[in-house]
Amino acid sequence: MEAMQPFHDIAADPKAYARAWKERTGGKVIGTLCSYAPEELILAAGALGFRIVGGSGAISKADVHLQAYSCSLVRGALEDALDNQLDFLDGAVFPHTCDSIQRLSDIWRMNAKTGFHLDVVLPVKLNTASARDYMTAVMAKARSELGGMLGQTIADDDIRQAIDTYNRIRAKMETLYTLRRDCPGVIAGGDVHAITRAAMVMDRHDFLKGLSKVVDGVSAAAKAFSGPDPKRIFLSGGVCNLPDIYGPIEASGGAVVGDDLCTGSRQMLGAIDDQDDLIEAIGRRYMERAVCPAKHAGIRTRGEELVRRARAAKAQGVIFLYLKFCDPHAFDYPYLKDMLTAEGIPTLLVELEEQTASDGQFQTRCEAFMEML
Amino acid sequence: MVTIGIDIGSISAKAAAIAKDKLLGSKVILTGYNARQAGMAVFEGLLKELAIDRDAVGRIVATGYGRNSVDFADQAVTEITCHAAGAHFQDPEVRAVIDIGGQDSKAIALGPNGRVTDFAMNDKCAAGTGRFLEVMARALEVDLDAFGEMSLQADEPAKISSLCTVFAESEVISLIAKGARRTNIIAGIHASIGARVVAMANRLKLQAPVMMTGGVAHNIGVVKALEDKLGLPVQVSAHAQVNGAIGAARLAAGG
Repeated sequence: MEAMQPFHDIAADPKAYARAWKERTGGKVIGTLCSYAPEELILAAGALGFRIVGGSGAISKADVHLQAYSCSLVRGALEDALDNQLDFLDGAVFPHTCDSIQRLSDIWRMNAKTGFHLDVVLPVKLNTASARDYMTAVMAKARSELGGMLGQTIADDDIRQAIDTYNRIRAKMETLYTLRRDCPGVIAGGDVHAITRAAMVMDRHDFLKGLSKVVDGVSAAAKAFSGPDPKRIFLSGGVCNLPDIYGPIEASGGAVVGDDLCTGSRQMLGAIDDQDDLIEAIGRRYMERAVCPAKHAGIRTRGEELVRRARAAKAQGVIFLYLKFCDPHAFDYPYLKDMLTAEGIPTLLVELEEQTASDGQFQTRCEAFMEML
Repeated sequence: MVTIGIDIGSISAKAAAIAKDKLLGSKVILTGYNARQAGMAVFEGLLKELAIDRDAVGRIVATGYGRNSVDFADQAVTEITCHAAGAHFQDPEVRAVIDIGGQDSKAIALGPNGRVTDFAMNDKCAAGTGRFLEVMARALEVDLDAFGEMSLQADEPAKISSLCTVFAESEVISLIAKGARRTNIIAGIHASIGARVVAMANRLKLQAPVMMTGGVAHNIGVVKALEDKLGLPVQVSAHAQVNGAIGAARLAAGG
């Protein structure tokens, strides 16, 4: 599909896109370290949110500051910064999530040359009244600090428009996810990956236009689609910037019908509604969307949500895709697996590193998993 | 009709022949650098030994890391599925397989029909594999085949705390320098492998009977260490090294 090409181009080299955008528009580019960074405020300030995921190549400079048991996201991101590959950034936003991202924030502040530095110290608990009030206060503070760092005041009207843009993007993504669920194979996993990757980098207005075209195309294709009946796979995990993982899944006779990835539905779904208080509404979406394991919203909430989502996607199996050494995910894994097993949903755990492309070992696991289903 | 299973492992290539639910025979050779040639050589060698005509061979299933190199096979199936099928063929009561091969280890849970219900693999790290034992045998200047029996003579097994092959090797060298007895060091090495593999297996909540397969199953010391850590008896496959090939031959027969 021709409409897909811009997304693949950006996914292949997001930094080149951001550089070109900056040159073309003269705008500011702001790096973000996780899907809890309030992108809506960045867009409202007229800047380009750029999700940093690292993974450009071998790590050497970052390991001066980080241990080898830090995840490849943290090591790769710092490597890119220290290697001056992120010199187009005007600032970086660090949400308070896992231990590694928190500590990276300090190391980054001391060593990276990527403009201003903003910590957004989010609540850890997401299911209490006091956390809700606190979240609103954090978002209000982020609004004023971000505005200050960019030398402007972020106006209500601009926030309203940014919310509107994000709601449209997320509604379109919801449609795309539904099409993929109802008609597995109608869009390749690698295409969805390219779209979600571009969503974190591309000018959000241009992204919405491009996404709309793709969704129209996929909707039309779904009406007449007939393909082999694949094994329905749900992906669960954190950051995944490895488009290569979709090849082995599809080559083994599987198709991804849903996900809760940080670089997937966690970032891409969930509307911001009830906009009497814009800042509270933005905060509420971050409280209510799929929960990162570095946050807390009830002792079994993530497991219940995973079971619900896997069931809704009619998944025959769940593949856990974890970055190696991502301890929040690893801590949750045993009980998540148990809950899925109790529901009769088989699982496969795969640990990946961003710098290591998928290989025969991943292929063997996928094939064995499909043979098992 | 005879069906054949061919298992191309990282170190050895195995073949097995089955007819009428009976194992006719098996063969093991070194894989070398050419997986395709090894597959052909072990296949032809087996047929010759069993005096089976090529025309009498029905379906062929290839497995192991080199499964896709065996271009004369009718189908490629992963070693996970084949090890489960092989264990089920040998003993239908088996509900778990622990396979320790040259460069990987795996734990497999089986249903009553021999189908895989869950599995876990370690193939990114030499710890808990045959390669780990080879490195230790070299450091200790002991023939690997003697490891099992020697470890049974240990009176005070050494503690090997490192999970990394390279670091564990330097621990072993330190123990040698301190004058620790070889038998105790070897028992410590086996306990280390047992702990490593059982940590992986425990995530599957394995049930008895447990069968051990793969070349390392010939080492009684590792088997004892696994039994100790698992808290379950472990039976050793009579055809440990060729279990994957047997499973492949069984699957080729539609079993």
